Amino acid sequence: MVKTILGFIAGIALVMVIAISFAGSLMMKEHESPFGVEETAARVQANIQSLEDRGWKLSALRDPARAVAASGSNVLPVLLVEACSTKYSGPLLKDDETRILSILMPCTITVYKKDDGKTYIGTMNAGLMGRMFGAKVASIMGEVAKDQAKFVEMDPKKPAPLLIKTGPGGGGGGAGGDAAGC
Amino acid sequence: MMNATRLKMGYVLFLVGGLLLSVPGFATVEKSSTSAAAPAASIAPAAAPQKAEQKSKSTADHSKFEELKRNFRNGPEVTKACLKCHTEAGKQVQHTKHWTWEYVNPVTKQKLGKKHVINNFCTSVKTNQTFCSACHVGYGWSDDSFDFSKEANVDCLACHDTTGKYKKIPGLSGHPNYKTMEWPPHSGRFREPTDLKKIAQNVGKTSRASCGACHFYGGGGDAVKHGDLDSSLKTPERYLDVHMDAEGLNFSCGECHLSDAHKVTGSRYAPTAAEKKGALLRGKDDGRNPTTCRACHGDAPHTEYAKLNDHTDKLACQTCHIPEFARGRLPTKMTWDWSTAGRLDEKGHRIQAKNSGGQVAYDSKKGDFTYERYVKPEYVWFNGDIKYTLFGDRVDGSDRVKINEFMGGPDDPNSRIWPVKVFRGKQPYDVENKTLAVFHTAGKGDAAFWGNYNWDKALKVGMASTAVAFSGKYDFVETEMSWPITHMVAPKEDALSCVQCHKENGRLEGLKGIYMPGNNNWPIIDFLGYSVALLALIGVLIHGGIRYLTSRKGG
Repeated sequence: MVKTILGFIAGIALVMVIAISFAGSLMMKEHESPFGVEETAARVQANIQSLEDRGWKLSALRDPARAVAASGSNVLPVLLVEACSTKYSGPLLKDDETRILSILMPCTITVYKKDDGKTYIGTMNAGLMGRMFGAKVASIMGEVAKDQAKFVEMDPKKPAPLLIKTGPGGGGGGAGGDAAGC
Repeated sequence: MMNATRLKMGYVLFLVGGLLLSVPGFATVEKSSTSAAAPAASIAPAAAPQKAEQKSKSTADHSKFEELKRNFRNGPEVTKACLKCHTEAGKQVQHTKHWTWEYVNPVTKQKLGKKHVINNFCTSVKTNQTFCSACHVGYGWSDDSFDFSKEANVDCLACHDTTGKYKKIPGLSGHPNYKTMEWPPHSGRFREPTDLKKIAQNVGKTSRASCGACHFYGGGGDAVKHGDLDSSLKTPERYLDVHMDAEGLNFSCGECHLSDAHKVTGSRYAPTAAEKKGALLRGKDDGRNPTTCRACHGDAPHTEYAKLNDHTDKLACQTCHIPEFARGRLPTKMTWDWSTAGRLDEKGHRIQAKNSGGQVAYDSKKGDFTYERYVKPEYVWFNGDIKYTLFGDRVDGSDRVKINEFMGGPDDPNSRIWPVKVFRGKQPYDVENKTLAVFHTAGKGDAAFWGNYNWDKALKVGMASTAVAFSGKYDFVETEMSWPITHMVAPKEDALSCVQCHKENGRLEGLKGIYMPGNNNWPIIDFLGYSVALLALIGVLIHGGIRYLTSRKGG
């Protein structure tokens, strides 16, 4: 009996170690981009706009590196492309049980440069995260994950679009709402 | 049997435990204090803070000088007025590279300077003086007949304007506009005539803005050429350059580039790659270059981490302290392909296409460009000597031509590892004579490429201005040109960390002649290390196995 309990505890411990070790890499996905940071971000924006029929709209473009620079220090370029789809956000926000998931909104895709000089795209593993929160969320986040995969497609045959430098609340300076997509 | 059952049970519980852990509580409700973290800056509404320029502490108020209280018709008239008091200034300027655009390298004996070198930006001054002389400290240089001995041709205002209103317009042979003119052409924007009286009455010491009026815009635009010089340095923040930080040390260019008799030190034609004579006492004239880092910081500048001083015999300070260049507002141009220039739309009109960042990525006049921000430099051994490919030098069209080559190596005690911007491009060359070819870019006449988009005509006129034979047959060859990186010095906490070099595929990967722990490995040492570890593991397993077996036997 003692050995059984010990086996159970060892199992828990092992799963914890594995979960802690791999949680970060499982929760995030990183893709290498053949383009520079601005062009990659612009292409992500264009991909998002192409999914308007699925409710997606750009809500903001942020530059966290600029805030660091303002404090007197340097970090390599990072751009956060933010987008939201009311098709997915609506059902989650309506339900008290899932309203707290608004913390994950808007959907953020990060585009950044590393010390190797290459550009990368980072996304949350929406599919995996969704599975942690029950069937309803899993279903919605599964759809988000499918769309996310399209966000990060980099097609060199397509011309480079212009980066849309929109602040929070949409480019029109409105208070968000439909313009922000959420 | 019992053991097997227990094992299965343990396995099942193991899985159940794992599953329980993988389904965490949906959300843990916690009371939290809401501390507002600094939000990431949004792109749209950002406005750069205005910072105060240094106020003049001059003992002379030029607005009170009688000579400057009249209206001036042109620049040379201003110069004549300046020379009435500053009697030797004109002659002094005429002995500087800013005037002659010439320099003879004492080591290679090559005749350099803008007048003689070829680059892979706009390629050459030849036949293009009316445009290029917008950055010459003179008036009227439009062709080879320019009188370099005439003191009134010296332009005092180019460097000593403090109003920011003095603009030498490309195409006016070094003059500002004296009449209302549309600038840029076809832009619908008009420049009022230059108020020479006001500008002359407000002359003063040089500043980042006055030096930068040319040096920030080299290569045909802001941030194009150097990579570590652009208009962000007019009022830089600390992150961009600790020395020029407008709210910190606020160095002007002249703080490092000390000048004497108008000769400005620190030319890239005569750089100092390595120095080991300690800090330079300002005012002591011992012929040393005062622009180097060590001229102020000495030979052992690291006090907190003295180990870093052991690197100074191999590394230039810039290698660690400028981890990336083009860290300002703008990306720097990284490539320029002239071979695609000349494409026009269906109506025969010029094409301009922009990239995602809004920079011109294609222009019928110039070809294709690429840009980059926060660029990791390339690293080379450098002893201060640079060999150039000049007019008439033979090139092989099958290889990438090095327009300049930094000399030095690991065994040269005067060499250090330097960061450089390597600018790559394609430009015309004579396929028969195997020389780089220069062309008439802009200006009057039907041969200017920017007017007719005809390479044959532009090359013919351009090459006729040189003493080099031209076969008339041309193609485009890949070229590269290196630029030492020495501005945009980052705060010390942003300098390269040890691990950025001391690792596989680190910053100095591929650089010959150095052994670097963490980056290089000796296979024999690796083999011995792995063997010891493997043998230890085998020993543990055998030992454990024997103990296990003997304990079972013992019951």
